[in-house]
Amino acid sequence: MASAQKKIQHLFLRAGFGETPSRINSLVNAPLSSVVDGLFAASQEYKDINYLPYPIPENEEKNGVGAFKILKMFLKSYGEMEELNGEWLFKMTYTPAVLREKMTFFWHNHFSTSTPLAYLMQVQNNTLRQYAMGKFGDLLHAVAKDPAMILYLNNQQNKKAHPNENFAREVMELFTLGVGNYTEKDIKESARAFTGWTVNAKGEYQFNDKQHDFDEKEFLGQKGNFTGEDILNIILANKQTAVFITTKIYKEFVNQNVNTERVNELAEGFFNSGYDISALMKTIFKSDWFYDDENIGAKICSPVELLVRYKKLVNVDTSNKKTLVDLQKALGQVLFFPPNVAGWKGGNTWIDSSSLLLRLSIPLYVIRGEGLILKAKPHPEENPEDAPKDDDSERGKITSDWTDLNNAFKDIPADKQMQAMLDYFIQCDTSRIDRNLLKTSWTNSDKDNLTLSMAAIMSLPEFQLI
Amino acid sequence: MDRRDFIRNSALASASMMVPSFLKAFGIGRNELFMPAANTTGKRLVVIQLSGGNDGLNCVVPFRNDLYYQARPSLGLKDDDIIKITDEVALNSNLQGLADLFNSGNLSIINSVGYPNPNRSHFRSMDIWQSASDENQYLYSGWVGRYLDATCNGTCAKPYNAIEIDDTLSLALKGDTMKGLAFSRASILHNSSQNPIIRGVANEYRPNNDHPEVEYLQKTLAETMESADYIYAHSKTFKSQRTYPANNFGNHLKTIAELICSDCNSSVYYLSLSGFDTHVLQKGQQKRALKTLSDGLAAFCQDLKENNKFDDTVVMTFSEFGRRVAQNASGGTDHGTANNIYVISGKLAKPGLYNPMADLQNLDEGDLIYNVDFRQVYATMLDKVLGVDSQKVLGKKFEMMNFV
Repeated sequence: MASAQKKIQHLFLRAGFGETPSRINSLVNAPLSSVVDGLFAASQEYKDINYLPYPIPENEEKNGVGAFKILKMFLKSYGEMEELNGEWLFKMTYTPAVLREKMTFFWHNHFSTSTPLAYLMQVQNNTLRQYAMGKFGDLLHAVAKDPAMILYLNNQQNKKAHPNENFAREVMELFTLGVGNYTEKDIKESARAFTGWTVNAKGEYQFNDKQHDFDEKEFLGQKGNFTGEDILNIILANKQTAVFITTKIYKEFVNQNVNTERVNELAEGFFNSGYDISALMKTIFKSDWFYDDENIGAKICSPVELLVRYKKLVNVDTSNKKTLVDLQKALGQVLFFPPNVAGWKGGNTWIDSSSLLLRLSIPLYVIRGEGLILKAKPHPEENPEDAPKDDDSERGKITSDWTDLNNAFKDIPADKQMQAMLDYFIQCDTSRIDRNLLKTSWTNSDKDNLTLSMAAIMSLPEFQLI
Repeated sequence: MDRRDFIRNSALASASMMVPSFLKAFGIGRNELFMPAANTTGKRLVVIQLSGGNDGLNCVVPFRNDLYYQARPSLGLKDDDIIKITDEVALNSNLQGLADLFNSGNLSIINSVGYPNPNRSHFRSMDIWQSASDENQYLYSGWVGRYLDATCNGTCAKPYNAIEIDDTLSLALKGDTMKGLAFSRASILHNSSQNPIIRGVANEYRPNNDHPEVEYLQKTLAETMESADYIYAHSKTFKSQRTYPANNFGNHLKTIAELICSDCNSSVYYLSLSGFDTHVLQKGQQKRALKTLSDGLAAFCQDLKENNKFDDTVVMTFSEFGRRVAQNASGGTDHGTANNIYVISGKLAKPGLYNPMADLQNLDEGDLIYNVDFRQVYATMLDKVLGVDSQKVLGKKFEMMNFV
């Protein structure tokens, strides 16, 4: 059975992005249940990201915006997307409301969206954060009217005379019921109910009654003059939605291998609570089975989880904001750029030869503070000349601060030090790890031996498992 | 073993050839390191991805077609901007290298390639091309990766059997069980693999049945190290004598040529070139991109020819979509649909214009209508060049083409 320390670490790695040794130490003797309550309490208060200003000047808002102007906005927006990216990473690292950020990150993948307008992604991000721990029904209704989502899934083109089924299909296939729980006819009929749900020139949701189909629809066995809201409510009244969402949450927060009986029980509670996300998460984090050995250290962390953990541990930063985005790109997960509407698949799909080698090389780059020039493929709209150059040493510069970590381990007796560090950095079984390998002086560096040992531990494949 | 093999093997041996213990753990001894090519045809495929949506209509120009000039009053290419290759068709003047290949019977141009209900998002459409999915299907594996899966059922494939020259591995090279290898320079890959901690872990690798995730990571690491050693050894055995254009694309093509000429056991090479998203002031931007493409390929093909590797190498280019037939108000073109594909080899079954030029008369709301499914091209490459059953890789049977 896992130690109290491992359990606390497990909780914070899954419900947040990990915690520092001093924080873990301060909680290790507290009852788990109260630590969980503390996590929820800390996420009651939170702040929006208000980094990007509203992009259209007032006078142009009235007169309309020309095509050329919109194109320029898109091009500028690519750079803004990088700034927004850095802003969210910063928030994930330093906010006290870690659980809310983790849930926002989960919903970002669930309601996978990508539009070239950074401002609208910021709006959506704030919407996800607002409803992240509330009722799933409220979240679903809000996302269905979210401008970025409407543009992404072509609801702007969904008109009475020519319905576009894209949103209607994905809302059932990926956001609520899952494949096999509706028919093609249900898609066609519900698409009609979402006609006229548009984004106006100000970038806000607007119901366009001229394009809306007010006639009768037949959906999931019911008939009526359904609106889009009615459709969402019918979907929410179907218990399969609770099963689908709970399964996805279980896979992400507990284990990719689903325990069906357990998930069904959780889904029952979720449904009966009126889709109370907080209640569901609290049940999970307070369950004994959440802390079973088979669930601890069983998840390959995502690139963003890895980066935020590095920031939390040694305050990793780069002199050029692009480098953090380059790194996400090279590792396979860039915030605000999910691969498609189904989101990142996670698990083993994060890992290939190059991404694994890069993950394991990060400690060396961090210790050396330079040399990280990544040439991932440029964004299609990006000017190829903006791509990193071999001699762009400024771009590859990394800063880090190992003081806190050093302080946490330096006073531990020499014979216990290595095990203490392994217990902190590695969640899965450490018995097979070669201690001698970790003690060797393995790189030319001005860093002390303790720092090098920690960096060596962080170079182990096991460090990738949370 | 003939003399050539011996020289190659001793070069490999001197570089790294004490068989590391992690290979022994796989049950792999020295001899297995010199396996024959993973495919049975002895041929290899080089895929060039043109990112951003290349405007194929201004690459292969129907210079006698009024509809073309009507749709593109200022962007339509004439006179000095084109190289005539037939009585009715010309290439963009920046594609001199391709024109030469056309004239020597080493280029086949396939027109109107696409898929139904085309998607105009760069990302989505690129996903469709890389995963070879239907337009409404989401796959998390790519067609080259699934080719690795299909090679002796994935049991003998190595990451280096499919190589991408880039710092990240594209979806195209990720199979369900096997994945290709990406690196931008063999020396960087080598340096990363020299990290003693990582090397130490790989050397100590033993299968771990207690923990599937640890096992997966460590096994992938061991394979990565094996691949890094293999590539490094091969990168030493052949140095190209040709001058390539001094840009990334040229350097990367040179890397590929050197690996091919060192008899590296890779069946697929994958490379991207970006800069084709020409919404604004297209002429200058496309000129740079096309010149990079054409000059690079010209040097590459010449290099292969001189080393007797051109006949058993097939190069194909593709882009996630073509562009609108009509020019836009900014001197550019917007995202379109069907496009042309270029197939280059020392030996082609049908060089020249493979099929008729795109129909500019019958458009779908201003867009070209496809008549060759891109997966027919893939299926042909898989069956005829790579020697696998394309149905295994693509999930269904596509009509064969006869360009190779």
